[in-house]
Amino acid sequence: MADAVSTREALRVVGHPVARHDARDKVVAATAYAADWALPGMLHAAVLRSPYPSARIVKLETARAAAMPGVAVVLTAKDVPRNTVSTDVPGQTTAVGPLRATLHVLAEERVRHQGEPVALVAADTLELAQAAVDAIDVEYETTPGVFTPEAALAPGAPPVHPTGNLLAQWRVARGDVTRALAGAAVVVEGEYTTQLVDAAYLEPESGVAWIDSDGVITIRLSTQVIEHFRDVAEVLQVPQNRVRVIGTYLGGGFGGKEDVTVEAYLGLLALKTGRPVKMVWTRQESLLARAKRHPYRLRYRTGAAATGEIVAQQIELLADAGAYAYLSALVLLYSTVTAAGPYRVAAVAVDARVAYTNNPPTSAMRGFGAMQTVFAYESQLDRVARRLGMDPVEIRRVNALRRGDTLPVGQVIETHVALPELAERAWAALGPPAPSRAPHVKVGRGLACNFQPYGRIVWLHDWASAWVGFEMDGSLVVRCGCPDVGGGQAASLCQIAAEVLGVGLERISVHVSDSALTPLAGTTTASRQLYMSGNAVLKTARELRAQLLTVAASLLRAGVDDLDLEQERVVARDGRTLPLPDLLRECARAGVPRSHLGVYHAPAGEPVDLAKGSGKVFPDYTFGAHAAEVEVDTETGVVRVLGYAAAHDVGRAINPQSVEGQIQGGAVQGLGYGLMEEVVVENGINLTTSFSTYLIPTAADVPDVAAIVVESGEGLGPFNARGIGEPPIGPPAAAIANAIEDATGARLTRLPITAERVARALGLLTEGA
Amino acid sequence: MHPFDYVAAETLEEALGLLREHGDEAKVLAGGQSLVPMLNYRLARPGVVVDINRLPLGDISVDDGRLRLGALVRHHQLEESDVLARRCPVLGEAAGLIGNVRVRTLGTVGGSLAHADPAAELPAVMTALDARIAVASASGRRTIAAREFFTGPLSTALAPDEIVTGVETPALPAYGWAVEEMSRRAGDFAVAAVVALVSVDRRGRVDDARVAFGGVADRPFHARAAEDALRGREPTTESIARAARAAREALDPPSDAFVSGAYRRLVAGVLCRRALARAVARALGRA
Amino acid sequence: MIARLVLNGRAREVEVRPNQTLLEMLRDTLGVFDVKEGCDEGVCGVCTVLLDGRPASSCLVLAAALRGRAVTTLRGIERDGGLHPLQEAFVRHGAVQCGFCTPGMLLTVLALLEREPRPDRPAIRAALEGNLCRCTGYAKIVDAVEAYVRAEGGRDG
Repeated sequence: MADAVSTREALRVVGHPVARHDARDKVVAATAYAADWALPGMLHAAVLRSPYPSARIVKLETARAAAMPGVAVVLTAKDVPRNTVSTDVPGQTTAVGPLRATLHVLAEERVRHQGEPVALVAADTLELAQAAVDAIDVEYETTPGVFTPEAALAPGAPPVHPTGNLLAQWRVARGDVTRALAGAAVVVEGEYTTQLVDAAYLEPESGVAWIDSDGVITIRLSTQVIEHFRDVAEVLQVPQNRVRVIGTYLGGGFGGKEDVTVEAYLGLLALKTGRPVKMVWTRQESLLARAKRHPYRLRYRTGAAATGEIVAQQIELLADAGAYAYLSALVLLYSTVTAAGPYRVAAVAVDARVAYTNNPPTSAMRGFGAMQTVFAYESQLDRVARRLGMDPVEIRRVNALRRGDTLPVGQVIETHVALPELAERAWAALGPPAPSRAPHVKVGRGLACNFQPYGRIVWLHDWASAWVGFEMDGSLVVRCGCPDVGGGQAASLCQIAAEVLGVGLERISVHVSDSALTPLAGTTTASRQLYMSGNAVLKTARELRAQLLTVAASLLRAGVDDLDLEQERVVARDGRTLPLPDLLRECARAGVPRSHLGVYHAPAGEPVDLAKGSGKVFPDYTFGAHAAEVEVDTETGVVRVLGYAAAHDVGRAINPQSVEGQIQGGAVQGLGYGLMEEVVVENGINLTTSFSTYLIPTAADVPDVAAIVVESGEGLGPFNARGIGEPPIGPPAAAIANAIEDATGARLTRLPITAERVARALGLLTEGA
Repeated sequence: MHPFDYVAAETLEEALGLLREHGDEAKVLAGGQSLVPMLNYRLARPGVVVDINRLPLGDISVDDGRLRLGALVRHHQLEESDVLARRCPVLGEAAGLIGNVRVRTLGTVGGSLAHADPAAELPAVMTALDARIAVASASGRRTIAAREFFTGPLSTALAPDEIVTGVETPALPAYGWAVEEMSRRAGDFAVAAVVALVSVDRRGRVDDARVAFGGVADRPFHARAAEDALRGREPTTESIARAARAAREALDPPSDAFVSGAYRRLVAGVLCRRALARAVARALGRA
Repeated sequence: MIARLVLNGRAREVEVRPNQTLLEMLRDTLGVFDVKEGCDEGVCGVCTVLLDGRPASSCLVLAAALRGRAVTTLRGIERDGGLHPLQEAFVRHGAVQCGFCTPGMLLTVLALLEREPRPDRPAIRAALEGNLCRCTGYAKIVDAVEAYVRAEGGRDG
């Protein structure tokens, strides 16, 4: 760790809170988001969606709609060349079967959730497109549905898919849990419920497609995954090299733009009409139809020794996949791997299942299955500590994983685990306790820790590539297929290139997220982009630097190791300098390339048998600890968060300001999850399809989050960084629940922790008071 | 949004004529903060939208203890008006709780009353003040007591061809006041809201009390029981608690997908006690 | 029909449909993309404009009803062709992540400061209550406003 500090002082750009180039664009609204785009002769698209969660389509006639003036085309399933989008997870199986998730582009005979797309329209104006949607003659015959995973798995339940309602199941079995529980000094049992949650980014799903002059179908949209160009090509049944996806700077993603959204529809409509087409989902459509975060029921039996050491965890997880598989099996895998928390536990049994229902589909969302478990394992640990009269920081110190420890699934932790330090610092950051401002107001504090993988599952053999090149004037171009979801992904790449190549940030142009023109770098998901694309740019820039310095060495008759690149000059140890443009001219003369394409490969592995604990699942993990101080109005149950501190070991902060922003933003999303957010679904009908019913926190609902950035100097990313996109969303719900118990003695086990639920837990709704 | 015709009325007579002509097909546009969301979400499909923003209904005046608000007085005017701060401060306190700052820029007193959301602030305030709502149609003008104006969720005693032109109310400048509200999120409609107005006599006894709730019934709820429990008494912690209990016992709020009726009732009782305590403290300060 | 307005200081007459909102007119007819569309019910704040200097949801204003009012979008706040110092503060303090809420935030803050030049942190948070941000957790936005207020105060005093 001492190394990290000394290296840091030597860094010129990395490690400094530099202003992001995209922020400069965004404050003057120069950034063209996906919907801020128009082409001459452009059509506008709209989708007909099912009003029912479970029904047969008995009639679907489009002739009247198609004949309306200004309507270019109306499409149904039979018009789609290949009506299935698949998500393949190579090499992977679960207890149920291969993880091949499929989804219809447009519904065929059945609809399985409210909002499922049934038909598509493109027309001269949006108003006409909507009128045409209204004019489609569609009739449904409702069929029995299932609306909870328990109901879906009950004998005789109506099958959502012919394969049955159990989508996936994972198990972990380490040690003898029954015996360990029998021998434990304390056993705490708990059942926890987490809710359906929406990504609720402010920019709805949107894009524009056109056929470019080479006949390539080009789709410019808001996406976390430009590689979906291949899925679109499959749907259209055209060669994959005839579809290009240009990813815009996103108005937020959080996992909700990881699956296919508008791109298949736009590709279809552009192909069928030959005209540019725009599709922008309304907020209602976005809240209705986009895949959401899985609700879970989590049952825990936790055994601890009198010393506070956790000796056993017996865990049962049940998640709701909604009507289609999407990434549910993988989300469940993340839950399974993280279920026992960032702690040493000798005996662990996990039985995790996810079931199809006729609810809105669920898929990726920030935290990806590793956050529902935090609410359960940190609530359990807190209860154990209370039973034993232990300090919350102390019990975490006693149990924290250490380097060299093995997770229940068999993965060895290879990097430093800063958990005790993080817990201490977060707890201390709350400062002196707030006084209660009235007798009915109780104040309390809670702590919660977590760990979140960064980077993709090792048997997916992840890689990312980047191109870095100098122009003759010494300005630099970075190309990388990395979508920027708003976290400063592109700006971080610039910082890394600037660091290695000695150019100012203002001299760099970065091109990201274009499947045709930027080297592919994979998805902006799984907290992987700084790690993967960052490493790709770092490696590429270093190779380019070596290439250039070899030429400089011969010009200056010096050793390569005696040369540095600094402020657009080559600087020799003896003080001689060579302007970069002179070096670049010499490269041009000598035929030495001034650019380089590099590929970074993540550590790879083979699929593991989780139950047998056979090995590595993720490249590495990011650890965190959050502390909350709350006040509870014991007359109404209203909870107010007075203070909040969030500490994460990020290995190295490439841009400390961006890292703080990730921590603060993630923590506030986590507070929304803990205290107010819920997609309310009754019998498959979503009652929260507007921003006045689906509530996310406002500035007046949350406190300042104190972000504590710890740099252990250990991580697999560039300059030893760890991923920090997802981790901060994990702990808040548990930290709040633990603080509420500290304040009032009431234990809340169901999310969100609304004032009414607190009031019930306090007994305010059963007594006459 | 479905297509409709748009007409900006230049005079009240023209507006009323349009309403008579189009009946149910017409919608009145004032601040637009309730109507336009319904148009955007295609929940309202009027044939014609009658814009009344050009009508001279934007004044605030106080004389002889009577306060007159034009229907087009915006919420931010209630917040910022010096004369209201002196003569009827409960309006400013309530207006500050309405929606967000953008709603308060454009939203109007008349629009809020005519929209009649049961959880809205101004209907509860007017109920507490015992205001009279001035309405007009092509056949004439009348006033309706606020306590009779609201007839259910989003429904009022207005005839289809009538519009709200203003409100007239006693200003009650000697009264202490308080508005207490709880919502699921900052700026949202109230789970429960209470408006309390209290005056005290020279001996420090409660001379008059006015209490109304929002969010606990299908319309604003006038809490007579609480008023009766307090009038003529010394405003002690106990008498205030008793009054709040009396108010709560008269409530039977509905449940919805987000909040149960029982919880609304609990919150209403607590907020009522707090509002009364605050209003009493202010009344004693003013007396 | 014709909508009349003064857009960022310039008088404009724009042909609109009766059912067209100010937001639709700005984006679809005039190509003014510095106003975003987020919820169509006035809750999220990304379509905020200043209407005669006060914040308004452009999604809840019918264009036909503008009657010559002054509409200010983000492009209307630049000073001397450069960034407004509040914009500088947003960049410097990391107040921008995805940036979709940023134009509305900036306009709302400027309107606040017109009426309340020295707001403290709670007052800033209260004023921003109607502008949702899903990325930042708000702290750095409040930091930026606070820093701007401090700097401007120094300049005035």
